[in-house]
Amino acid sequence: MTTIASAAPKATSTGPPGGGDTPRKGAGRGNAVGQARWIPYAFLIPGLAFLGVFFLWPAWTAIQLAFYRYDVVTPPVYVGLDNFSTAFSSSDFWQALTNSVLFLVMYLPLVVFLPLLLAVLVNSKIRAVSSFRLLYYLPVVTPMVAIAIAWSYVFHPRGGLNWALLELGVIDEPIQFLLDPTWSLPAVVAVEAWHGLGYFMVIYLAGLQAIPQDLYSAASLDGAGWWRQLTSITMPLIRPYLAVCLVLGGVFSMQAFASIYVLTGGGPQGASSTLGFYIWTEAFQRFNFGYASAVGLILWALLLTFAAVSHRLSRGEAE
Amino acid sequence: MNPRSWAMPVRYAAMAIVALLFVGPFLILITTAFKPAGQAVFSFPPALVPWPPAIDHLVEAWHAIPFGRYLLNSLIYVAATIPLYITISALTAYPLARYVFRGRQLCFYLILSILFLSPEVMLIPRFLVVSELGLTDTFLGVILPSGLSASGVFLLRQAFAAIPAELPDSARVDGANEFRIFWNVMLPQVRPTLAVLGIFGFVSVWNNFVWPMVVLKDSDKYPIALGLAYLDSTLGADARTVAAGAVIALAPVVIFFLVMQRHFIEGMQGSMKG
Repeated sequence: MTTIASAAPKATSTGPPGGGDTPRKGAGRGNAVGQARWIPYAFLIPGLAFLGVFFLWPAWTAIQLAFYRYDVVTPPVYVGLDNFSTAFSSSDFWQALTNSVLFLVMYLPLVVFLPLLLAVLVNSKIRAVSSFRLLYYLPVVTPMVAIAIAWSYVFHPRGGLNWALLELGVIDEPIQFLLDPTWSLPAVVAVEAWHGLGYFMVIYLAGLQAIPQDLYSAASLDGAGWWRQLTSITMPLIRPYLAVCLVLGGVFSMQAFASIYVLTGGGPQGASSTLGFYIWTEAFQRFNFGYASAVGLILWALLLTFAAVSHRLSRGEAE
Repeated sequence: MNPRSWAMPVRYAAMAIVALLFVGPFLILITTAFKPAGQAVFSFPPALVPWPPAIDHLVEAWHAIPFGRYLLNSLIYVAATIPLYITISALTAYPLARYVFRGRQLCFYLILSILFLSPEVMLIPRFLVVSELGLTDTFLGVILPSGLSASGVFLLRQAFAAIPAELPDSARVDGANEFRIFWNVMLPQVRPTLAVLGIFGFVSVWNNFVWPMVVLKDSDKYPIALGLAYLDSTLGADARTVAAGAVIALAPVVIFFLVMQRHFIEGMQGSMKG
C-alpha cells in the first residue's frame, strides 16, 4: 500500500542518542549496559525466516525455473534460454507486452493528474468536505471483484454508458465495450483508474496540506488568482508527491488482475491480457511453469527499469 | 462582486458531481440487486429506482453459493493474518530502529529488497514454495505469505525510532529485560501505527484475490472475493443475483470503512510523511 512512499531510507532517523556506556563510540541508541549481543538477532529471527521462505527462496526458484521446462507433474527439464526465445517469438507474448505498455500509458495520466485536481477540490475547510473525501476514497477499500461486476453493468450494450453516449449523439449504435478488441483494454484501465483515484488523491492531499498557507495569502495580496496560485505555488511544491504517484502508478498498473479476470478474462483474443495476466494464464491454466517464470523475469526487468527511470526523472526534476 | 460569494456553491456543485461518479457504480449494484423480476435490468433510459423493491435476489444469492461459509473464511483470514503480520513487522522493525549491531544495514537492505520482489513476479515461485511446504489448499498457505511486508516494517521502524530514549532506559534501570521493555514499554508507544497497519491490513486481506485463487482448490476455503467471482462465473447471466452477491460481499468492508473512516485518511497521510 504505502510501500514506495515509506521506503525511502532515512539515514539519520534511527532514534535519539544516549543509552550509556556502549562498547562502540557514538553507537548509543537503545543499547543498554551489559546488554547481551544476541538480543537484536533474536528479535529478527521470525522476520528473517519469513523473508527467506516467502521472498528469497521463491526469488531464487523463479530465476532457476526460467531455464527449465516444468509442468508440475513431470520433473523439470533444463532447456537453457529456450523459454526466452519462445517468448520473444510468441505473438501472444508481444500482445501482452504491448497491452501492458498501453495500460501504463493510459493509466498513468489518469492517476497522476486527475487525483491532483480532486485533492485541490477537497483541500478546504468548508462544511462536509470530509464526507466528500470519504466518498472519493470508498472504491479504494472495496473488493475489485464487486467493483468489476458493477462496471460490467455500466459497460453493458444496454447499460448506462451506451445510453448516455447514444443520447449525446457520440455514437449511433451501442458498443460492446467488453467484447470489442478496441475497447476492452481501455475499459479495464478506466475501472482500475477509478478504483485508485481516491488513493492518489490522499497522497496529494498530504502534499497540499504541507504547503504553508501564508504563501497563498501573500500571493492573493499580490493579486494572483487561483489559476496563478495553482501553477506558481501548488504545482512546484507538489512535485515530490507527483513523483511518488508516478512510481506507485507504474507499480499498480502491472498488478491489475481481478479487474481483467472479471471484466474480460483477458479477451477478446488476448486484447486485454497484460503481462501479469498472461503469466497467470500460462502457469495456472496451461501449466507452463518454466515458460511463465521466464516471462515473469522479463516483467521483473521491465519493472526495475521503470522504477530506475522514474526515480532518475524525479531526482532530475527536483534539482 | 465578491469572488467568495460564488466560489462556495461552485465548489460544492463540483464536489457533488464528482461524488456521483464515485458512488454511481455502487448505486447501480444496489438498484440492480433490488429490481423485481418484472423490471428490466437494462433499459434505455436506465431505470434507476427498483420498483417494487425485491429482496428475493439477496436470498437467492445467499443460497446459490455458501456465502456464510465464505464470510466466515474471510474473517478467519483477517483474524489470523493481521496479528501475525503486526507481530512480525514489529519484531523486525524494533531492532532496526533501536539497536546497533553487526549486520543491521544488511538486514535493512534485505527488507528493502522485498519492494522489488513484486507480487505478480513472485506468484509462481511462491506457489511452488508453498506446495513444497505442503501448504497448498490450506488456510496456512493463504495466510503465511502475508506475514511480512516492507511497508509494515518501515512504518513501525519510524514509529519506534521516534520514542525518546529515556523510556526504555528508565525501564532498564528498574531491571526489566529487553523483551519486557519491547512488550510493555515500547509496543504501547506505537499503538497508533499498529492500528493503521491493522486497518489497512483488514482491507487488503478482505480484498485479496489472486493469491488465494492460486493456492486454494477446495471452494470450501474460499474467501469472499473468490466466492463472488465464482458466483459471477456460474450465474453471470442472472445480473440481479450476481449484483446481490456483490452487495453482500462489499457490505462488511464498506461498513468497516465507515466506522473507521477517520483512521483511513489520517493513517494514509501519516504514512506519507515518511
